[in-house]
Amino acid sequence: MSCAYEEDLTAFVDGELPELRAAEVARHLGGCAACTATERLLRGAVVRLASLPDVPPASPALRRSVLAAVEAPTWRERVDGWLRPRVWVPALGVAAAAGVAAVALRTQTPEGELDAPQLELALALEVAEDYDVAGLTSVEDLELVAELHELEVQQ
Amino acid sequence: MDVDVDAQAMLRVAGGDRAAFASLFDRHQARVVRFCMRFVGDRARAEELAQDVFIKLFRSARAYRPTAKFKTFLFRVAANHCLNEVRRGEYRVEHTVAERPAEDGMPATEPEDVGGARPDEAMAGRELERAVQAALAGMSERERAAFCMARFEGMAYRDIADALEASEAAVKSLIHRATLAVAKAVAELQAGTLPARSRA
Repeated sequence: MSCAYEEDLTAFVDGELPELRAAEVARHLGGCAACTATERLLRGAVVRLASLPDVPPASPALRRSVLAAVEAPTWRERVDGWLRPRVWVPALGVAAAAGVAAVALRTQTPEGELDAPQLELALALEVAEDYDVAGLTSVEDLELVAELHELEVQQ
Repeated sequence: MDVDVDAQAMLRVAGGDRAAFASLFDRHQARVVRFCMRFVGDRARAEELAQDVFIKLFRSARAYRPTAKFKTFLFRVAANHCLNEVRRGEYRVEHTVAERPAEDGMPATEPEDVGGARPDEAMAGRELERAVQAALAGMSERERAAFCMARFEGMAYRDIADALEASEAAVKSLIHRATLAVAKAVAELQAGTLPARSRA
């Protein structure tokens, strides 16, 4: 069918055309056998479609699964939950206490063990004393050993 | 009116009110399942799609503005989801519902049980259903979506255009082509020129 009105026929049947266009199509139908046949075909189908049995209702399982899915908190709700003061204030307190404890533990050393500066000094002294045994050759070397011993006493 | 009730419920859903969502589900589940069923032609898949549609509806509640008709908003979500799922091959449109081997002279494919009609009415209903579903399977996804909204949901062309994010002229054309295809299938059925098994 190549009639220029053909595209409008379903909208005409559905009452979806503007008034003027609908009147135009109605006039056209009076003189166009092809469009009249198509309009009748469309109108008959629309009536038959209305008699189609309805789709059965959704299963109860659908309701259960949909409502269960929306009951689960969304990411936004989880983040909002975490950002509530009554959650983050105690959490911040616990984190701060844990941080302080960690720093305190790191600065404490078990009895009899040396911490890093003490260990460095001891190694330096050991080297210097080796030189002492082997025979120190200059005044500067003797002064260095003396300074190292002073540092050892201070620590 | 329902539209106002739905719009108000949707605003409460946006605020996290699950009970309001449950009431929206109860009011609209039948039409969403029907739309999905007509769209993919398979009951189980239609329920899966409907489930996704309602979950998306819940999650997009904050995007809803009461200036838009709730039903149009709902069908925009439903049509987008169905079109996307079919396009990415998630759902093959079958329109053959429950398949079973041919036996005792019965057709190999039976449409859904469509209610408690008399046997002759039920048979005529099944024949019509099969003809319509075959025609639906043969059209484009957008034609099918527009057709289902117009014929089975009684939506105005303007609302369908909103739901499909298309112009009214485009929707008029989609619905015309789809209705003509279905009308020809129904006419062939009435003329007895379309054997039931070949339509399935």
